[in-house]
Amino acid sequence: MKDVLNFLIEVGKLKRNKRKGWVINQIKDPESIAEHVFRAAILGWVLGRKKKGINLEKLIKIALVHDLCEIYAGDTTPYDSILPKNKKKLKELMKTWPRFSDAKKERIAASKYKRERKGLEKLIAKLPSDLKSEIRNIWLDYEKKLTPEGRFFHQADRMENFLQAYEYWEKRKNPPLVPWWLWAREFFDDDVLLEFLTVLEKRFHRRKKR
Amino acid sequence: MTEEKKFYLTKEGLEKIKNEYKSLKELKLAKTRGESPKVLQSEDLNPEYLIFQEDVSFLESRISEIDSIIKSATLIKFPRKEKQNIVDLGATISVEVGGQTDEFTLVGSLEANPSAGKISNESPVGMALLGHRIGEAVVVSSPIQTTYKIKKIKYRTS
Repeated sequence: MKDVLNFLIEVGKLKRNKRKGWVINQIKDPESIAEHVFRAAILGWVLGRKKKGINLEKLIKIALVHDLCEIYAGDTTPYDSILPKNKKKLKELMKTWPRFSDAKKERIAASKYKRERKGLEKLIAKLPSDLKSEIRNIWLDYEKKLTPEGRFFHQADRMENFLQAYEYWEKRKNPPLVPWWLWAREFFDDDVLLEFLTVLEKRFHRRKKR
Repeated sequence: MTEEKKFYLTKEGLEKIKNEYKSLKELKLAKTRGESPKVLQSEDLNPEYLIFQEDVSFLESRISEIDSIIKSATLIKFPRKEKQNIVDLGATISVEVGGQTDEFTLVGSLEANPSAGKISNESPVGMALLGHRIGEAVVVSSPIQTTYKIKKIKYRTS
């Protein structure tokens, strides 16, 4: 039980760790990783209900586990390899979606996976073996998109991220939404999430007119 | 349970999944017999196999998942040479978008991984690009209008 206690204390750090994407966008008092996980789980659950044959318990566990690796690996953004120190340049960069060669995209993805896998292993190292393998398998399901639940949540997670970006934009006109829309149309292909995106788009048009 | 849909897979993707299926079946058989499976002695061992070795229910659900994928898999075939200037599944496309150059490969949903340059044919951008030729400008609206100018199309095996 002592190891479980220590594990939970470490997990609690996600309540305080701020999401890096909002920090680099200079969002005041941004959400924490745990806050993102909470709504990603709700979003995955309520939209997952529309998917035929999806195991919702598995889906919610994937949601709860997917960012545990970030306690040690940290949060990453697509801009990390090109972040300027100058605040003005940073603001300009946030108006664009970063484009890289295929080879660079693969290098970035491989290095992120390696770092996060290491972070997860460190976190679960001392847990009882059945719990350790359950957490690891759930995480791998998400990362490698091994099952319909893993594949669906992989996109649902990003939809929560997009929704948060949208809400910040609605309140503060920051972050700039153009790169987000560009990315969304290349990223999402799930029918339920694309339907959700259309609803969000209609709201965006209404708010833009105001 | 797998979604009831067709899985478009590249030749490499299908081979990869078939190899995984073979290895996992071998792993399951060896476990049933109480033997040490050959796949775990291999030098190029996939570290995930060690996890499947530990967790039988995960191993079984993955085998059943791959089984359904293979049954509903459709192999992506490259078009004839004279049609290789048109975007189809499996094409690697260089585009100019918002003043920047980007490159991605159009794949089926199962192999899609936009952060690694693989875009799904069912995504809005994937759907919009399909059927277009080198030199054409494809406009993707909703809600912000963006033009993807097709610079190059290649069909290559990795």
